[in-house]
Amino acid sequence: MSISTRISIKNLNQKNLIMTALVTCLLGSASLTRAAFDFQGAIEGAVKDAVKKQIDPQAPASTTVPETPNAAASGTTTETAFNWKNPSQDEEIALGHEIAGNLLGAAPLVKNEALQKYVNSVGRWVASQSERPDLPWRFAVIESDDLNAFSAPGGYVMITKGLYRKLNNEAQLAGVLGHEIGHIVKKHQLKVLQKQQLLNIGAGILNDKLAKGNNLISKAIGSGAEISARSLDKSAEYEADRLGVSYATRAGYEPFGLADVLQTLGQTSKNDGSVALLFKTHPLPDDRLTALGDAVGNRLDNIKNGKTLENRFYILKN
Amino acid sequence: MKKLAYLLFSVASISTLILTSVSMAAETGSALKSDNMRVEPFADAKLSGSFNRGDSLDILNKQGAWLQVKTKNNTGWVRLLSVKRGAPSAAGNQTAGVLAAASGRAGTGQIVSTTGIRGLSEEELKAAKFNAADIKTLESYTLSAEQGKKFAASGGLKPIAFSNISAAQGDAK
Repeated sequence: MSISTRISIKNLNQKNLIMTALVTCLLGSASLTRAAFDFQGAIEGAVKDAVKKQIDPQAPASTTVPETPNAAASGTTTETAFNWKNPSQDEEIALGHEIAGNLLGAAPLVKNEALQKYVNSVGRWVASQSERPDLPWRFAVIESDDLNAFSAPGGYVMITKGLYRKLNNEAQLAGVLGHEIGHIVKKHQLKVLQKQQLLNIGAGILNDKLAKGNNLISKAIGSGAEISARSLDKSAEYEADRLGVSYATRAGYEPFGLADVLQTLGQTSKNDGSVALLFKTHPLPDDRLTALGDAVGNRLDNIKNGKTLENRFYILKN
Repeated sequence: MKKLAYLLFSVASISTLILTSVSMAAETGSALKSDNMRVEPFADAKLSGSFNRGDSLDILNKQGAWLQVKTKNNTGWVRLLSVKRGAPSAAGNQTAGVLAAASGRAGTGQIVSTTGIRGLSEEELKAAKFNAADIKTLESYTLSAEQGKKFAASGGLKPIAFSNISAAQGDAK
C-alpha cells in the first residue's frame, strides 16, 4: 500500500466526507452518524438524491454508479474496482485486510504464538455458531495496554493485551470475541463505509484525477487506522452484545462471560486512559448491562451446563 | 432420638442441595434497574421484596442466572443482569465523567494524550502505517471450522440449540 495514497486523500480535503466509522469495541457516545454525514455546502441535497437512487434496489437500472477509474495494481491488494453498491465477500475481506493491517501498524501482534493460536481456537468455535460460519475468521491479541477490542469486515477480530489480561476464563473471552463477531456478521462497519463511499461517488470525489492509480480501498478507509477510532451507532453496539451472548451460549459456554467483562469495565474509572477510546466509542458499561438484561429477560434461566473453562484459559505471563 | 438425628440430617442435605450455589464473600453492588426479589432463584418463586434503581445491595450468592442479594430491608434472588457489581464509589465515577465532560477534559484526545499509558489514541491510530508482516502472520493463524470443533470437543464444550436474543420490546436503543 502506498503512502501517497493516503496523502492524496488528505489533499482532497474531504476529511469530513471520508470520515467513516468502523470498528468497535466497548463504549463511547460519539455520534458517528452525525459526524459521518456532516455535509457542508449546497451539494448536500443533490448528493443525497443521487445516493438514494444508488442504494435503493428498486431504482431504475439505468442509474448506474459512476465507475471509478480502475486502479492500477499498484497497491498491496489486487482489486481494480470496488463494487460499493454490493461488495462481494472477497471485496469485504480485502477491505478488512487493509483495515486490520493498518490497525496492526498502531498496535502490532503480541509475539506469542501459543496465545494467538488459543484465541483463534476459541474465536473460530464461537464464529461457527454465527450466521456466517464460512468466513475465514481470524483473531489476534495486539500490543496495547488499552482495554478494547476491534473488528474489521470479512472476519478480522482483535483484542488488546490490556483487555485480555482482565479476563479470567474462556467464557469471558468467548463473549468478547462474540461481540466483535456480531459486528462482522451484521456488516455494521461495512454498511457505514458503503454509505459513505456511495456518497463520495455521487459527489464525484472518487472520479477526481487524484484518485487515478490509487488503491481504492485505502482511499475509502482514510488515514491509517483512523477508521478504527470511530464509533458505530449505539443500536449496533447493543445488537453486538446480544449476538455475542447468543453465540457464546450456543457454543456451550456459560452465557454471562460478556456480562462479566462489562462489569469489570464498569468498575474501571472513566478517567483511566486505558478506557478513553472504548468509552468514547461505545455506550457506557452500565447502559450495556441494563440493555442486555432487558433483552435477555428469562431466556437464560434454564441454560444449565455452560462452561467457563478457566482451567485451560491461556494466562499471559508478561 | 434416632429419628430426630435422621430428620436433622435430611434437613441438612436438602439445604445443601438447594444451596449448590457458589458461596461468595459478601460483595457490594447496586441496582441497575428496579426489580423484584424472589425467595428462590426461579422466575415463578414467591416474591420476597423489591428494590429501586440505584439502591445499594450486598451480593451474597450466585446461582446460574441469579444472584442472591440483601437490601436494607430484605433478602432475595434477582437475575444477575439487574445488578452492578462493585462499591458505589465505582458508580460515582460516572459523576466524575460527567464533570470532566462538562469541563472539556473529556474532549477528543485530551485524556489519552495526558496519560503515560501506552494506548490507542485516535492520533496513534491515524498515524498508523500498514503492517504487512503482522497481517500476514495473523492470517496464517486462520483455523478451519473443523479445527474449531475439535478444540471445543477437547474442552467438553457441547453446542446447544439457542436462538439469538432479540432486542427488548419497545426498546428503541
